[in-house]
Amino acid sequence: MAARTLPKTDVVIIGSGWTGLAAAYELAQAGQRCVVLERGKPRHDATSFAGPEEHDDLKYAHQYGHMMDVREQTLTFRNNSDQTALPMRRLGSFLPGQGLGGAGIHWNGQSWRPLPADLEMRSHYVERYGEQFLDDDDMTVQDWGVSYDELEPFLDFYEKVAGIGGNAGNLNGEIRDGGNPFEGPRSEDYPNPAMKQPVATTLFAEGAAELGYKPFPIPSANMTRAYENPYGAQLHPCTYCGFCERFGCGYYAKADPIICIYDRIRDHENFEIRFNSWVMRVDKSSDGKTATGVTYLDEDGREVFQPADIVCMNAYGLWNVHLMLVSGLGTPYDPQSRTGTVGRNYAYQTLAGANVLFDEEIITNPFMGAGALGMAIDEFNTGNYDAAELGFVGGGYIGSTQTNGRPIGHQPTPPDTPAYGAEWKRAVREYYSRSGGVLLHGSSVASPNNYLDLDPTYVDAFGRPLLRMTFDFPENDRRMAQWGQARAREIAEAMGHVETIADWNRAAPGQSYSIVPYQTTHNTGGAVIGTDPATSVVNRYGQMWDHHNVFVFGACLFPQNLGYNPTGPLMGLAYWTLHYMKTDYLENPRPLMDA
Amino acid sequence: MVTQFSRRAILAHIGAAGVSAALPVRAIAQNAYAELEGRPWFFLTDDEARYLAAVTDIFIPEDEFPSASQAGVVDFIDLQLAGPYGRGAGLYMEGPFREGEPTQGYQAEHVPAALIRRGIAETDQADGGLKLVDRDAEGRRAFVGSLSQSEDVFQSAFYEELLKLANWGYFADPIYGGNKDYAGWEMVGFPGAHAYYTSFVDDHNRPFDMPPKGIAHVPGQGPAQFLRTNGREG
Ligand SMILES: Cc1cc2nc3c(=O)[nH]c(=O)nc-3n(C[C@H](O)[C@H](O)[C@H](O)COP(=O)(O)OP(=O)(O)OC[C@H]3O[C@@H](n4cnc5c(N)ncnc54)[C@H](O)[C@@H]3O)c2cc1C
Ligand code: SF4
Repeated sequence: MAARTLPKTDVVIIGSGWTGLAAAYELAQAGQRCVVLERGKPRHDATSFAGPEEHDDLKYAHQYGHMMDVREQTLTFRNNSDQTALPMRRLGSFLPGQGLGGAGIHWNGQSWRPLPADLEMRSHYVERYGEQFLDDDDMTVQDWGVSYDELEPFLDFYEKVAGIGGNAGNLNGEIRDGGNPFEGPRSEDYPNPAMKQPVATTLFAEGAAELGYKPFPIPSANMTRAYENPYGAQLHPCTYCGFCERFGCGYYAKADPIICIYDRIRDHENFEIRFNSWVMRVDKSSDGKTATGVTYLDEDGREVFQPADIVCMNAYGLWNVHLMLVSGLGTPYDPQSRTGTVGRNYAYQTLAGANVLFDEEIITNPFMGAGALGMAIDEFNTGNYDAAELGFVGGGYIGSTQTNGRPIGHQPTPPDTPAYGAEWKRAVREYYSRSGGVLLHGSSVASPNNYLDLDPTYVDAFGRPLLRMTFDFPENDRRMAQWGQARAREIAEAMGHVETIADWNRAAPGQSYSIVPYQTTHNTGGAVIGTDPATSVVNRYGQMWDHHNVFVFGACLFPQNLGYNPTGPLMGLAYWTLHYMKTDYLENPRPLMDA
Repeated sequence: MVTQFSRRAILAHIGAAGVSAALPVRAIAQNAYAELEGRPWFFLTDDEARYLAAVTDIFIPEDEFPSASQAGVVDFIDLQLAGPYGRGAGLYMEGPFREGEPTQGYQAEHVPAALIRRGIAETDQADGGLKLVDRDAEGRRAFVGSLSQSEDVFQSAFYEELLKLANWGYFADPIYGGNKDYAGWEMVGFPGAHAYYTSFVDDHNRPFDMPPKGIAHVPGQGPAQFLRTNGREG
């Protein structure tokens, strides 16, 4: 059946998470008529996330009440191309969002900037150790095509939009105590002070300091005081309620796209949002050079064509790549010939660490937590140490967090405790308020063998082939994790009041990546940014090489994943792209770079 | 109070060990499902309920704090299996179904309600026909022990599901029918859904003794009082 065609709009935006609403705000204010299409429902912090109903561990943390519904769309997964990919039948390893605000309503709020070396990773290692250092057939390390200095104003603006609290470690080149001394120079301090720290993360910081490291509070989108952002949004101080990640914040205390952006643009004449609107594909012009708009299913399941001059892809990294593949945008990556770019350089996050149990003098009160509550050190992140003799690239921050003591998920027990029974029960009771940990939040290099394409067998509720994910930890990252894990353990050993230490490593030798246990919702790559169309889907402005009126947002842009959580970097990139759209592209639509 | 449908009475007839005979008196008086005791099961048969009581009480046995079935875990599982979760909410169920690698996660061809029903039927008849509830305490532990080590893909999915449901039932908010009297929360010292700690978080090592309070606003007792009311002092 032919789709109903609507009147043309200037910009159509797919998705209403952090990046989609930022795009809508900036472009609507710049005079563009924006239509946002969101597959999920409307919701609001005050009416949808208020306690105590929101504080329902089972419904939201374990039955994924706020996340996407895999019955509508999921992906298939395998560790390598010799296996048959099978559907992710249940959410687990990552928890993509759905509905107004996207995953931005149920994130933790740990908010980082990329390091200068992250953005120029290839150049950094080549300059430091020579070309042969990256000569590894199992890895494709690239520069982003955007430098730290170029991105800085946009990283800074995002931090103000989200009211990030922290201690500056490098203010205009001046290194300051209490902050991260390794960060790139920031033009201004964080808009808010750092969070208070509980005993467990304080013990970590003391242990780390004893070893000569420089611990600092994790930069946080959980507010530390009443705050008004540049758009005029009012936020309140965090209560450390411990129902943060996987939950919405009913206290207006966790920066999310609804209160920080949506409320400030919803009534603007250039802004329109349509809920329950599933974008099926992006449509192309007959010469294939531009997009003409998008086709979506409206709330009654009818096919609708929304023509637009500009298409913004803000559907979350994985689903941006899926939409490109089902729409025939760009050239799909072929792992045999190693050509094509869409789906190439998919990467994840490499986690390892040491759990600790404290002696009886310590009472951690784990339920007093917040998504971004914690301390970290950055000595072992990309470029911050000498990699010459270690034989791998990348790294990560090592930190300690106290996010929650929700009892279904928080059941610390000593290493050899059985999975159930009397001994298990006693241990859970005994150690509930006596645990802490040290975590390596490690980077993930891209590998030619890890990629996204379309599944040949399984389909979504609309009959489209599912996205297929092929991923396992590259050898480089396994070496990095083993080394970082040992550094984490040393810190655990230096901490006071520690009774037992238990190592863990998701990328341990011989252990394949599993889609079952939650790790992070930091899926990166697949539509990466760069300056060479042979190795990137979009140019350095976030514009597709092959279709100049399609702009791409989100962590799919990362050429490889950094040792940080992605939202700070991806929002910096979003404001960077929007800046060039507003100041250059709109008045003269064309490719902003020569291929 | 025991009606012809009494769940307590059904669970009490669970054979020699009778581990589930004593449900705490206050247990079912505090939440939206307070009338459960006098109602038939929503999904389970009496036999299935007894099987689940026996298994979950091996998972979470009675000590100073109630066992799983005493804390309403069987009521919880019954409600879950009768509701959207049991019918496969949040589960992609399109075929073809294949065994797959452990790293590929849940691949069973059953929604949770069917998985549990079939799992009980399949495992309870195994091993010479002596039903789980007719075994003594040691026999039950051995049964659960071998289930936990089963290499059969279906049986291990069944075991994982049971262990998860028991855990959820013991620690989820009491509005779901388990964690009665906040048994699980009192045990670990979790104050519940009403959460405001701005002035406590950096006050290190100070115990926080507020009795728990769940979504339904019913105040708990605090661990010491909890043990007294349940006759479990000492
Ligand atoms: C539990 C959790 C904790 C996290 N913690 C952190 C953290 O501490 N720090 C950090 O930096 N990051 C964290 N993240 C990641 C962070 O949430 C994401 O990086 C961020 O939300 C990405 O924003 P986005 O705009 O790219 O996508 P999203 O927020 O995912 O928004 C995409 C939107 O597009 C919609 N959509 C998708 N497909 C379609 C379609 N076909 N048609 C219409 N609409 C569509 C979706 O419904 C969704 O609303 C966390 C994520 C989770 C789940
Ligand atoms: S911990 Fe703070 S920011 Fe997070 S949900 Fe609770 S009040 Fe909101």
